[in-house]
Amino acid sequence: MPDEPAGTGTGTAGIRSGHPLRPRSVGITGLAVASAFGRGLPALEAGLAAGVPAFAPVTRFPADKYRIGVAAELPGAGSLLDELIAVVDQACEEAGLRDRGTTTLLLGVHREPGLARLPRWGRDPAASSAGLAVTLAGKCGLAGSPRAYTTACVSASTALIDAASMIRTGRADRVVVAAGSLVTEDDFAMFDAGRALAADGVVRPFSAGRKGLLLGDGVAAVVLEADPHRPLTTLSGWGRAGDAYHVCQPHPDGTGMARAITDALDRAGLTPAAVGYVNAHGTGTPHNDAAEAAALHRALGPHAARIPVSSTKALHGHVLEASGLLELAVTVSALRTGRLPVNAGHLGPDCDLDLVLTPRATDARHALSLNAAFGGANTALVVTA
Amino acid sequence: MTVTVLTRAEWPGTGEPPALARFVVSSFSPLVAEAARLCLTAHYGPPPVPADEGARTAVVLVSTAGDIVSGREVADLVDSGGNVSPLLFFQSVPNAVLGHVATRWGLTGPVVCVSPAGDPTADALDLVDLMFAAGDADRALVVLVEQSTTPGTPDRAVALLVKPGGHP
Repeated sequence: MPDEPAGTGTGTAGIRSGHPLRPRSVGITGLAVASAFGRGLPALEAGLAAGVPAFAPVTRFPADKYRIGVAAELPGAGSLLDELIAVVDQACEEAGLRDRGTTTLLLGVHREPGLARLPRWGRDPAASSAGLAVTLAGKCGLAGSPRAYTTACVSASTALIDAASMIRTGRADRVVVAAGSLVTEDDFAMFDAGRALAADGVVRPFSAGRKGLLLGDGVAAVVLEADPHRPLTTLSGWGRAGDAYHVCQPHPDGTGMARAITDALDRAGLTPAAVGYVNAHGTGTPHNDAAEAAALHRALGPHAARIPVSSTKALHGHVLEASGLLELAVTVSALRTGRLPVNAGHLGPDCDLDLVLTPRATDARHALSLNAAFGGANTALVVTA
Repeated sequence: MTVTVLTRAEWPGTGEPPALARFVVSSFSPLVAEAARLCLTAHYGPPPVPADEGARTAVVLVSTAGDIVSGREVADLVDSGGNVSPLLFFQSVPNAVLGHVATRWGLTGPVVCVSPAGDPTADALDLVDLMFAAGDADRALVVLVEQSTTPGTPDRAVALLVKPGGHP
């Protein structure tokens, strides 16, 4: 077996290899989002404040043959590429990013239906998620060696963690992270076949009687920078761990997610007492929400019962690969506006958590944003105002 | 910083990889599981990996094109009005087979799937080097898999067990 050292690649532009570890802060200096509530952070914040779910009958394809026919679609959505270009440009402009050509792009992205329909034989290697990332980087003037993350519902949060690690370890001074998922019929058919969609048309995270998830559109981008002077917020901690339990179900004791939360808080230099809000993954499926509640209790101990928790998937839908970024935007908004978004659709208690059932003010400085995915993948982000 | 490949194993490319329960239609997930088995067995023997190492081992899947065959199967069923099998939902994302590998071998480090724009091996080693430097893992099982897009050419799957530093 080959045992020779393998030199690490240097193809990712903007990376400064060989720098010693040093504790640099990771600031969010630009943030742009589009969801079923419309384009821009103000539209998302208005939707969250209203607390009314954005689900409506699907318009993008005939959905009458499926058991449930609603989703949270972005009004007037263009192609995924066009929507990604718009949010990346907006985030870069907000950050005042001048040196785009040396800035790396990490992209969490869902498989486009057009790619799936290409013939297998003779397929162009560029017809891939990576190819979309290259095209997006080129259109936005970013460095030409991007990477696409295809880790399902933790794609965006994993990209954020790698971007933050690149900055924290001195490998990069700034990174653009983008993610996008628009509801497709292919997804609808698969989630319907898997009986994962909420048959009653309502997402009820952590609630008694919860029946499943509903899909939504989400496209978002952030600029992360080292030691910025006036960041919107700081990404102060992050963690990730696997369950090693099942192909598609979370560990019922929440062990992987608990380790991700603990690692994230340790990296942020915080204890559970400092956490003022949790934006949960909270899909509204029986297995996920029970496991996530168990993870919160395992990681946060007695604090789990008093920290406000909400899953905003009940409002904007499950945006799959883009979840980590859209929900990061929700979390940033909660800290900046001092308003916690509601956990809509609640029928009655099932998980021992302090769910935000009505709009609530907060002076929290630190919040967690959690995501989980098939394969037992778990991520936790700590956002600090 | 450098990384060291402790063990490399490649699926030989002849015939079909061993079937994997609950994964249908496509060779993608069976290839991942078989390459992982060959690599981990060569290094550790039968599963599971010793608990102290498994707890710090990341599982990384690198595939530029992803599961072409499963994606095409779903698209064809949707376009023809056919019924999609629930099993296609379970294998709809590349993480799913990593859940199988991690469970069988007791690997509880980070689970990551990427589609790199550059050289897949170099990108994978960059990725795990970053994980090691950030303290997210001390070992990484990297599986590189691509389904053939040329008739008569076999699918490819290679697995690497990687550690930090320049000495095995």
